[in-house]
Amino acid sequence: MTIEKLKPYLPWITLVVLVLLVGAINPSFFNPTALLQLVADIVPLFIMALGMTFAIYIGGIDLSMQQVANLVTVVATVYLAQFGVFVALICIGAGFVIGAVSGWITTRQFVPSFVATLAMGFIALSGARFLSGERALSMNAEARDASFGWMFGNTAGVPHELVIAGVLLAIAWFLQSRTTFGRALKAVGAGELAAVASGLNVDRIKIMAFALSGTFAAIAGLMFSVKLSGGDANLANGFLILAIVAVLVGGTPLTGGVGGVINTLVGTLIVVVIRSAMVYLEVDATMQQMIFGIILIIAIAMTIDRSKMRIVK
Amino acid sequence: MYQLNQVDKKFPGVHALKAVDFEIGRGEIVGLVGENGAGKSTLMKVIYGAYQADGGSITIDGKTVRFQNPRQAMDHGIGMVFQEQSLITNLTVMENIFLGFEQQFVRWGVIDWKAMAEAARHQLRKVKLDIDPATITSKLSFAQRQLVELAKVLTLEERIDGDLVILLDEPTSVLAKEEVELLFSLVRELTSRASFIFVSHRMDEVLELSDRIYVMKDGAVVDVVAHDDAKVDAIQHKMVGRDVDKEYYREQKQQPYDSDKTLVRFDSVSVAGKYKDISFDLHPGEVLCLVGTEGSGREAILRTVFGLEKPTSGTVEVKGSSFSRANAQEGVARGVGYVPRERKVEGIVNGMNVYENMTLSQMGNYASKGILRIGEEKALAKKWIERLAIKTPDVYKDCGGLSGGNQQKVVLAKWRSGGSDIILLDHPTRGLDIGAKEDVYDMIREMCDDGAGIVLVADTLEEAIGLSHTILVLKDGEFQKRFDGSPGDKPSLYDLVHHMI
Repeated sequence: MTIEKLKPYLPWITLVVLVLLVGAINPSFFNPTALLQLVADIVPLFIMALGMTFAIYIGGIDLSMQQVANLVTVVATVYLAQFGVFVALICIGAGFVIGAVSGWITTRQFVPSFVATLAMGFIALSGARFLSGERALSMNAEARDASFGWMFGNTAGVPHELVIAGVLLAIAWFLQSRTTFGRALKAVGAGELAAVASGLNVDRIKIMAFALSGTFAAIAGLMFSVKLSGGDANLANGFLILAIVAVLVGGTPLTGGVGGVINTLVGTLIVVVIRSAMVYLEVDATMQQMIFGIILIIAIAMTIDRSKMRIVK
Repeated sequence: MYQLNQVDKKFPGVHALKAVDFEIGRGEIVGLVGENGAGKSTLMKVIYGAYQADGGSITIDGKTVRFQNPRQAMDHGIGMVFQEQSLITNLTVMENIFLGFEQQFVRWGVIDWKAMAEAARHQLRKVKLDIDPATITSKLSFAQRQLVELAKVLTLEERIDGDLVILLDEPTSVLAKEEVELLFSLVRELTSRASFIFVSHRMDEVLELSDRIYVMKDGAVVDVVAHDDAKVDAIQHKMVGRDVDKEYYREQKQQPYDSDKTLVRFDSVSVAGKYKDISFDLHPGEVLCLVGTEGSGREAILRTVFGLEKPTSGTVEVKGSSFSRANAQEGVARGVGYVPRERKVEGIVNGMNVYENMTLSQMGNYASKGILRIGEEKALAKKWIERLAIKTPDVYKDCGGLSGGNQQKVVLAKWRSGGSDIILLDHPTRGLDIGAKEDVYDMIREMCDDGAGIVLVADTLEEAIGLSHTILVLKDGEFQKRFDGSPGDKPSLYDLVHHMI
């Protein structure tokens, strides 16, 4: 068995090895309730990583997700009292539009997606600051529970966040594997020129991919905001790098076309295990980002398809 | 002085150079001619070190040498003047001339620009170009850049001991008549400093300039002619070589086309900078072949039919109406299928399996409300795998892992199964082995029998003649001549070459 053949299974192997390692160091890691809670806690991150998967799957990237989530926490907090549960529609709509605009800038203005989304991210951040008056806002607890109380709770011992994550994963998986749109995403990621020569509307597909990543960012932001019962232009900071790491260590390379949302599930779990391991091992909080930065570089270097990269700038 | 002995070069599926003997003496100008794909570029790449020969040897003054890369070849005095000019346009002339060799002008860690300019002027004098070496290269004319490129290669003279061999690859293709003459007189003068290998499509120029001419065909040198014995006719006959085998191109299966109906109509269509004033009709059952050298506008015409290129004037009608917007979606919707030359890049999606590739252009036919009916896709793939005898273990095989011929069959199945009846074939047999080529020829005949019209840009002239009902010869984007290609009444290779170059 060669390393190339092993490559698709590498994320799974990594996950199992890491779990066993962490379990060996700290047997209480396997406590079911604690484990379930650990996983439930990272649902917003997982949702963001799911959205990121679409952007990376087509060979792009969405650096605006964290800022879109920040904006959404503020929007949700500010307008909750006024619109109740329908504030969710506003949030999701905002995410969709910001993502679609990034996609439009990328495909029609030929601005690489990392710059386009970075710029859109700053615009979203600025909007969040303006709307929040640069203060940390908090939600009215009653209104929150009335509209979004269902998001957090337990049914038969299963946290609701996990159910939401499962439903979103199922939708994303269905989109990716069973629809013409998902097939088109794969074609664009794996061979954009062939997709063009087959008559696919590649621009529209790309715009939709970024709109989806924006939408998922908004959902992540909304959950985060409800969970912490407030909004703030910096609330989701630190999530972007984790989402990118989750997608890449899951096995969806920056060059696109391979991997997908199931890989991102594995990748997110890897990130969680690493993070909890660092807590057990008492790695200083300030060091954690550094470690994820290093993991990110290693993950990119290991997964990238060099035959698609003639020039790296 | 510089010699290739029995040099051999193989690529997967292609024997690009077959035991080639080649030599060039001091101060000699040697011409190199051959059709597209005859092995000229491969031979040149072996000479200047971009490729390494698989067999045979290279000797300079009797000593065997081996180049791992062009830099090593340069160290032995072999330089290349590129057809696609290799100058970096936003650098100055002198920076280009000494690119990679700036160290000689460095004093205390910085470049002594005055010294470099002086040295550059010295080089420019060799090619009689009177310009300021500090000029930004993009400001120069094409002819001037060509000379700068030559001057750059001539810096070898100072840098190495021994003789120079300079390759000129299509140096005249973008030059005006007077500029060509200037270049030629310059090259003749420079034979006191170097030997030249001259490659060109323009036969008359090769004859005029060269002391000896190597004629290549199918990877082998078929003749070496001295300047005084060279005749255009004789060389052209040698270039195209053997007689066409009728069986091979399925001529017996060629049926007359239906001239009552028109699939594609070109009415004096031009695309600025690519081709101008082209008119033709494509009928059901017809193979229409566009013949010309590289850059004659063949590919651009295909792309116009598909919708990837927008005509600047004239009208293109596909099945009776013209495109409102130039894009591939519209072409596909009208039943146009495009089999591109870059099979691995534009033909198949490397990383998607057989059925995914086959339905890529027609996913709507295999989906309800955007949800794919994957079972039907697989059934389609199985049917076409059987029909075209595609060698794949199953429908789940990644198309990137199939052989070239099977990839091409998948691409053809994609269009045929989707009901496309205007098929554009750009070098459909490039890089395929003989068996796979014959399969493609069979498929072309079958498609014609089904009433499809085909626009073909063939890999070789024989192929063009053997397969087509109609041949249009193009040169520099302009229509030259139309030939009828009914079985038994086909034009000869010589007829075509005559109008191509």
